[in-house]
Amino acid sequence: MKLAYYPGCTLHGTAREYDASTKAVCKAAGMELVEIEDWNCCGALEAIFDKELSMGLSARNNMLAQKTGLDLVIPCSICSHNLARADSAMKHNEAFRSKIEKALGGKYTGVKMKHLLDVMANDVGTEALSKKFIKSLKGIKAVPYYGCLLVRPSEVSKFDNPENPTSLDNLIQATGAECLPFTQKTKCCGGNLLMSKQDYAFILTRKLFDEAKVAGANCIVVACPMCHMLLDGQQSMIERAQNTIIDMPILYFTQLIGLAMGISEKELELDKNMVSPAKLLESIGKEKPEEKKVEIKAPGKTEAAEAAE
Amino acid sequence: MIKTSDLDPDFKYEIANEPGGENIKKCFNCTGCTVGCPVTEIDKGYNPRKIIRKALLGMRNEVLTDDSLWLCASCYICYERCPQDVKITEVIGAIRAIAQREAKAGKININNLKPLFDNLFIDSVKKNGKWYEAGVSGTFMLKTKGIGGAVGYAPMGLSLFRKGKLSILPHKIKGTDQIKRIFEEVETK
Repeated sequence: MKLAYYPGCTLHGTAREYDASTKAVCKAAGMELVEIEDWNCCGALEAIFDKELSMGLSARNNMLAQKTGLDLVIPCSICSHNLARADSAMKHNEAFRSKIEKALGGKYTGVKMKHLLDVMANDVGTEALSKKFIKSLKGIKAVPYYGCLLVRPSEVSKFDNPENPTSLDNLIQATGAECLPFTQKTKCCGGNLLMSKQDYAFILTRKLFDEAKVAGANCIVVACPMCHMLLDGQQSMIERAQNTIIDMPILYFTQLIGLAMGISEKELELDKNMVSPAKLLESIGKEKPEEKKVEIKAPGKTEAAEAAE
Repeated sequence: MIKTSDLDPDFKYEIANEPGGENIKKCFNCTGCTVGCPVTEIDKGYNPRKIIRKALLGMRNEVLTDDSLWLCASCYICYERCPQDVKITEVIGAIRAIAQREAKAGKININNLKPLFDNLFIDSVKKNGKWYEAGVSGTFMLKTKGIGGAVGYAPMGLSLFRKGKLSILPHKIKGTDQIKRIFEEVETK
C-alpha cells in the first residue's frame, strides 16, 4: 500500500514522536508513505471557526495530494477534520470551489483521505496487523482516548461510532495490553481553550486523568497531537496548577503498536514524550499477581443489621 | 428584561449569511446542545442554547459582547447531536466573525484572549504557510502576561527545545503566494 502523507505542523514539532512512530509502524506494516510536497498549515483549531479560511488553507493541501494520484493519510485529528471538510466543500459548494481554484490555478476532482487510525484499523485491518505483533504488551493497562474530531462530526469523520467508538479499543486489545472501559473516551480535553482559558482547559483534562485512574489504567492511548499536548505536554503544568501528582504516561497509538511489533523504543521516540513512560515499559510482561478480590456482602444486609445479629 | 425596541430582527439573517451560520433559523430550542456540552459542565453560566436563542430574538449587542461567545471548545458534541442540524459549532464561528469585524471597526470591545491568539496564529500562517509556534506563543505570552509571565513559560519552552520539539526560527513554505491568494479570495464576500 502506497499512500500520500500529510503530517501537519505538529508532527514536525511538538508531536515529532508521532511522526517517527507513524513512519516506523507504517514501514513495518508494509506501507509506503510519500509526504506531499510543500504542504501548508490546515488552519488548525485557530481557524476552525473561520470556516472558509480553514477550508481554503486545507484545500491547497488536498490539491497537492491530488497531484500524487494516491490516497491521503493524515495522523492528526484536527488536520484530518479540516482537510476532509474542505474536500467535501470543494466537491459540493460551487461558489467556494471556484474561489479556491482561482486562487490556486487548477481543477479539483477530489482525493480519498483517511485518518491514520482508520487506515490501520480498517484498511490494513486490526487482524492482519496483529499478525505482525511479536511481543505481547501484557502489563499495560490502557484506556483509549478518542477525543473530539477523530470521530466527530460523523458527517465528516465516517469510520467509527461518534458516541462509542471501538477501533482504538480493538487495536489496543490486539497488542496483548489490557484495554479498560473509559467513560471519557470521547470527552473534550479542552485543547482549543488552552491559550485563552487555561483554567478551563486544565479542569477538562484533569477529569480525563481522574477517570482513567478510577478505571485502573497505567497509561492513556491517543491518536491526536492536540490531545497529547494537553495530556502529556501540559501534565506537569496541571500538576502544578492543581497541586497534585498525576504521573500518567500518554502514548500515541502508533507507539503502542510499534512496541508490539518489536520496534525499538528509540525508533518510536519514546524518549520524546514529556511524561516518561520508562516505568510503564518496565511493567510489560511483569504483571503483578492478581490482588485478592474483596468479598462482596450479601445484598439487603446493612452493617447495622449485621451488628445487631 | 428584554426591550423589544432594542432588538435587531435582521441579526439572524446577518448570521445566516456568514459561512457556517446558514442553519441557525432551524433551531427549535430543545437544549440538546447544552446538556451535552463539556464547558457547561464546568461553567453553568455557559449555555449555547441561550446564545442561539438570543441571536434569533435579535439581541445583537448582547450576543456579540458576551464573553460566552469565546468559550466554545469546538468539541462538536452539540453539532453531532443536534436534531435540527443547526451546526452549532459553525454558527458560533459565524457569530464570532461578525464580532471580530465589529471590534475591528471600533464598535465593540472583546475582552477574551481567544481572538488575539487565533489572529496571531493566522497571521503567522499567512506569512509563512505554517504556524510559527515559538514566535506566536512568545508574542502572545508577552502581550497577555508581560515579561514576568512569559518567563514563567521558559522552562516548558526549554524542555521542548531540548527534546527537539520547538524550532527557534519559522519554517516558510515555497507557495506563500498561493496562501496569500487564498486569504484574498476568502476575505472577499
